Amino acid sequence: MNAMIEMQGVSKRYSRGNETLTVLDSLDFQVDAGDFVALMGPSGSGKSTILNIAGGLDRPDSGRVSVAGSDLGAMSSSALAPWRSMHIGFVFQSFNLMPVLTALENVMLPLLLTPLRSSERKKQAEFALDVVGLSDRMTHRPKQLSGGQEQRVAIARAIATDPDLILADEPTGDLDRESATSVMELLQRLNKEMGKTLVVVTHDPMVGELAQRTAHLDKGLLVDVTGEGP
Amino acid sequence: MRSSRVLVRKHLLQHWVRSGLTVAAITLAMFLLCSVISIVTTLDRAVNSEATQRLVVQSAVSLFVNLPLGYQEKIVAVPGVEDVTVFQWFGGYFKEDEQPFAQFAVDHENFLHMYAKDMRVAEGPRGVTGDSALEAVQAAMNADRRAAIIGPDLARENNWKVGDTVPIIAKIFTKQDRSAWEFDIVGIYEPLKSNFDPRQMFFRFDYLRETLEAEGMVDDMGTGVYMVNLEATADPGLVSQAIDGLFENGPQRTKTATEAVFQSFFIAMLGNVPAFMGAIGGAIVFAVLFSVVNTMLMAGRQRRGEAGILKALGFSNACVARLLLYESLVLCLTGGALGIGIAALFEEPVRWAVGGALPGYTVEPSTLLLAVGVTLVVGVVAGIGPALGLGRLQPADALRSEA
Ligand SMILES: Nc1ncnc2c1ncn2[C@@H]1O[C@H](COP(=O)(O)OP(=O)(O)OP(=O)(O)O)[C@@H](O)[C@H]1O
Ligand SMILES: [Mg+2]
Repeated sequence: MNAMIEMQGVSKRYSRGNETLTVLDSLDFQVDAGDFVALMGPSGSGKSTILNIAGGLDRPDSGRVSVAGSDLGAMSSSALAPWRSMHIGFVFQSFNLMPVLTALENVMLPLLLTPLRSSERKKQAEFALDVVGLSDRMTHRPKQLSGGQEQRVAIARAIATDPDLILADEPTGDLDRESATSVMELLQRLNKEMGKTLVVVTHDPMVGELAQRTAHLDKGLLVDVTGEGP
Repeated sequence: MRSSRVLVRKHLLQHWVRSGLTVAAITLAMFLLCSVISIVTTLDRAVNSEATQRLVVQSAVSLFVNLPLGYQEKIVAVPGVEDVTVFQWFGGYFKEDEQPFAQFAVDHENFLHMYAKDMRVAEGPRGVTGDSALEAVQAAMNADRRAAIIGPDLARENNWKVGDTVPIIAKIFTKQDRSAWEFDIVGIYEPLKSNFDPRQMFFRFDYLRETLEAEGMVDDMGTGVYMVNLEATADPGLVSQAIDGLFENGPQRTKTATEAVFQSFFIAMLGNVPAFMGAIGGAIVFAVLFSVVNTMLMAGRQRRGEAGILKALGFSNACVARLLLYESLVLCLTGGALGIGIAALFEEPVRWAVGGALPGYTVEPSTLLLAVGVTLVVGVVAGIGPALGLGRLQPADALRSEA
């Protein structure tokens, strides 16, 4: 099985004045293609940082990062942007939809970067909204949707370009139990039925149970990896 | 870029109050800027476009001291002088609350001829128009002591027609019984130059003089100024010196200048108008620049989170930066188009409103072009800083600022 994410000796530090904060300390982390990994750990342990580095939003101070077959360290930030558009779908805790756009327009946004024609973009966005079960909410603004619906729109946006890897940072953090369950079921379905590789940062034990693998992070180190290995 | 259009429009509409106020500010500023520049260019043209060789002779003491009528034949005799007319300001009004207009008493025998390059006689008695109008009006002027020729705008505003008798109330030359002066309109002229006021009235000087003498109001009638037409080859400077030389020992010393300088003297009386206007124009541009900069800085701060999202979705730094720059340009160009459009469309009403104070008020195409340039510069200057800021923002930091 080939690796979707391969991190070797990845370190990330922030210096505040003369004090240095080591967020990731020579971390090795691997996620196989088609895997569903839950990333858990206390607040400030560097979970979001790992996700950002894997998605090319942030760069490590040292170490090697290879994602979806690309060596991210070798890519310029202007090359990373189109790479993200092709390979990565992000889902955030606070949904991060564009408030001024409708659900359909939000989902079409990443498709603007593809060579698709306008009618094709619309069709694909409609399909993505159908997958998340929101065909009847396409013209709604984010403010007119419930939190769970907003997150499902965000997931539709993440899968609109058909990426290989979905990176979700506490996708259920702002949701009630019921919405959280339906969002996690949806993500699991994407992993099982569409073969998306899924990394979910979470504090939620329920998510941990759904995942094939759970990685525990503490003080910049992976302390414990459970679940069936490769 | 196609994505920009939708986002830019929606962002601007989302904050429609702020967008509207900014557009309104730019509209007003660009209209004012065009107007201010137009005042300067109009004045400038009035001063510099005097192709005719004309001198104005006035008292060396002040414009308000009259020159003796006997000077006329002496001035005519000066080499290089083609013709001379008295030119006496009457200072009356038709209706007190209307836009004031100028009336001048002139030598009716030669006035029309002397001003043939400034104005064309467009209409004479009994509906005569075209080439024969000049002759017909000249004949009517000769025949009727109260004859007057008026400008087209004056005719239109008051609905005066050739053949009408109009009462003008004098403010200076008030008759004993306080009755109005009556003038018979015998012709309507058409300005041939943009700076020739289309709201003037010219009438016979001898009507003024004889009436005043009959009323016993003046002992020795004079004229405010003489208008002197020069021969084509004459040197205005030399002729001016010659005229002033004639009257060096009185009884009334003269100051002779070209009509252009005479007009710029009026402009100078208003202070250093062009510099003043330039300062106003500069202040307007700066005020609007600050207003747009403020709007764009606000927009830039609000868009940090969004910039992060767009970057996470794969939008390039340049694309994210462009969005804000476009927003600034759309605001500026909308406001600019409105303001500049209003300045162009309202040229005529403004010309009417400023009336004789600034005859021939014209908004030059170059002024509009300059305003378009200023608008663009303001749009770029206001948008570039916040736009580059969003472009440079690290996506991870931008997303953190959202949470
Ligand atoms: N730009 C930055 N400057 C300084 N410190 C930062 C910066 N970004 C992150 N950090 C620090 O790095 C550490 C790890 O942050 P990270 O967001 O990855 O934690 P996390 O595990 O996602 O926490 P949480 O569960 O609260 O989201 C934190 O201590 C944070 O304060
Ligand atoms: Mg986090």
